[in-house]
Amino acid sequence: MRTGDYKQTYGELVALIDSPPVWLWSAVLLLALIAAPYLLNSYALSLLMIILITVTGALGLNILTGYTGLISLGHVGFLVTGAYAYAVLVSKYQMPPLVGFLGAGVVPALASLIVGAPSLRLKGLYLAITTLAFSCIINTVILEMRWLTNGARGIQIQRPEIFGISFDSDAAFTYLCLAIAALTLLATLNIRRSRVGRAFVAIRDNDTAARVMGINLHAYKLFAFVTSAFITGIAGALYGIYLSFVSVEGFPFLLSIEALAILIVGGLGSALGAVLGTILIVLLPEATRLIFSLFSAQMDAAFTTGAQELKSMLYGLVIILFLRFQPRGLVGAWHDIKRAWVHWPLRY
Amino acid sequence: MIKHLAAASLLLTTACLAAGPVRAADPGITDTEILIGDVEPLTGPPALLGVAASIGHKIAIAEANAAGGINGRKIKYVLEDDGYVTARTIQGVKKVIDVDKVFAMLGISGSGQSIAVMPVLEKSGIPTVIDVAPVKHLWEPPRKNVFVIGQSYEEGIVHLVNFLADKNPSKKWGLITQDDDYGITVRDGFDSVVKTKKLNVVYSGNYKKGQQDFSSDMLQLKDSGAEVFLAGGIIAENIAIMKEIEKLGIKPVTGIFWPGRIEPVLKLMGPAGDGIYAVDYVESFAGAAGKAFLEKAKPLVSEAEFKGINRYTITGYAAAKVLIAAIERCGKQPTWACTISELEKTKNVETGVMAPISFGPGVRFSNQKLQIMQADTATLSFKPVD
Repeated sequence: MRTGDYKQTYGELVALIDSPPVWLWSAVLLLALIAAPYLLNSYALSLLMIILITVTGALGLNILTGYTGLISLGHVGFLVTGAYAYAVLVSKYQMPPLVGFLGAGVVPALASLIVGAPSLRLKGLYLAITTLAFSCIINTVILEMRWLTNGARGIQIQRPEIFGISFDSDAAFTYLCLAIAALTLLATLNIRRSRVGRAFVAIRDNDTAARVMGINLHAYKLFAFVTSAFITGIAGALYGIYLSFVSVEGFPFLLSIEALAILIVGGLGSALGAVLGTILIVLLPEATRLIFSLFSAQMDAAFTTGAQELKSMLYGLVIILFLRFQPRGLVGAWHDIKRAWVHWPLRY
Repeated sequence: MIKHLAAASLLLTTACLAAGPVRAADPGITDTEILIGDVEPLTGPPALLGVAASIGHKIAIAEANAAGGINGRKIKYVLEDDGYVTARTIQGVKKVIDVDKVFAMLGISGSGQSIAVMPVLEKSGIPTVIDVAPVKHLWEPPRKNVFVIGQSYEEGIVHLVNFLADKNPSKKWGLITQDDDYGITVRDGFDSVVKTKKLNVVYSGNYKKGQQDFSSDMLQLKDSGAEVFLAGGIIAENIAIMKEIEKLGIKPVTGIFWPGRIEPVLKLMGPAGDGIYAVDYVESFAGAAGKAFLEKAKPLVSEAEFKGINRYTITGYAAAKVLIAAIERCGKQPTWACTISELEKTKNVETGVMAPISFGPGVRFSNQKLQIMQADTATLSFKPVD
């Protein structure tokens, strides 16, 4: 009797979707997301937009930190570079939005070569500090290049129109974010199961062993940086459009920390983990507020007026609890639940 | 498979039930209540401004409610914290409009945050009175439903520098500004006066936002021999700058701008802050109007809130007064259209805490009259200069 989920061929092992129920669930999720703009109010829709944009950015960071094991504390630098590249091309030079999106990917990707180069010699905390320094430098460069970036005054961005389709309404913009997030998810899943993805993971697990196996560390590490920065830059452009105004202040350092928190809580090295982690981190304050409001109006008010302090505490608490009790993150928890569901009432 | 189908159906049903209802026209008003929303930085360092502004709104609302509310309806204030993060300001504004369903908006957060939420406000059409950070982007071009109370940063700086230049002719000037939008505005205003008054600028510095150590900057100021100095910091920076000046034993005639003209700053500056000049469009608490405002506020707010009162409380109070008056003029059945129309008709409305407020057709900026004040550390207050 079959009592587990066994992979019997290599094809099964690398399949994107490995069973009919997963197909069904994916279709249900996609239908729910397509229906969401018609069902949700503007506030809930804005949360969905933030989730989709954050998923895109988190998947970008996941390639670098999750797959390749290179810690980045400065990913907000790529995010802001992408947002500015889009804003400058589209708002300042009246380029088509698609060119803007391309620029939003390419410019951070080029910038990542500068920060990626030291990564060939640095690891762990040293690399983390290097990426942190990059995000500080990029902010200064943006502020100083007033002729191009308007300096601290920022640049206003309109919602795009692509192939005659206006993304001006929240619903339409949500679809754009959804399409980009879905494409990014597919792309990262495909990268993970390809030769490149396996090389990334080999570098993460043991770079000396990877080199012995013939993996070119320099090329693959740089490729991880470039790919990660490209995706993060696209997320930056979406975030800039969401904000409707791009300025250095709109991209605080805290975003880098939040992105790392998402990966840790979701489960490092997993695309599904990046998605689940994003949903948890974005919706955690809302869920907590909902629970608080059930008890009393005063508790609800306290949460509303002290929201950001409470949010920071919640993030901290959640990360500590996950690291202590579920180091594999939400993906680990999900696998446990799945196993229990399949084997119930048996334990194994 | 049946398990999966059952779970999927349950999830979809839950999602449909959780979805928000369709919004009725002109929400936020019932037979007994009118809801007014606001999003401010209530946590973190900018809370000094956001909390104070919200206290001003609360005072005006409590005053109106004590007088019977707006045509019999009590005003309920819905306040949201954005932590001074732009994305959260947008979410906060969407929440108070779509989830809390407020009738009108006050506030809103800092200058960058207000600019970012402008498309949301404009698209929603909700009557809004902005009072915290008046910057030109908010009223140029004028938006139908968004009104701004205050004075532009550029005008404020020009007024202050002109005053200091007239009072100190033929002196050497020094200036330090922050590397952000605020700093650029201060510098642009200063530069425009430099040209017209032909000022002799011997020191011009720029610092990174969040800088704490100004020892080398102030040493350069000392070496330059500047006699008149414009400290372009906001709160912590101006305190650090003045402390450094005190340490170096120099005493230039110093001017600061209104975002930092709050009494706790004077307390932290100590004797170093004595005699510094400031420009503002709201009354000083040392003057008769300011004292009267404090007397009025005392019974309407808690002790903790009373301690948090500063100039932003006054701007918040004035904005709320103007908004409440406009809704009131719409009678028993106020609508967004009527409120916007009445806000536009606002003409010389006296709030007692700043010059009369006026808007008009196509005019969404109240363009408040400016005045110069001087710090008195003995009483920890800013006194109007004749």
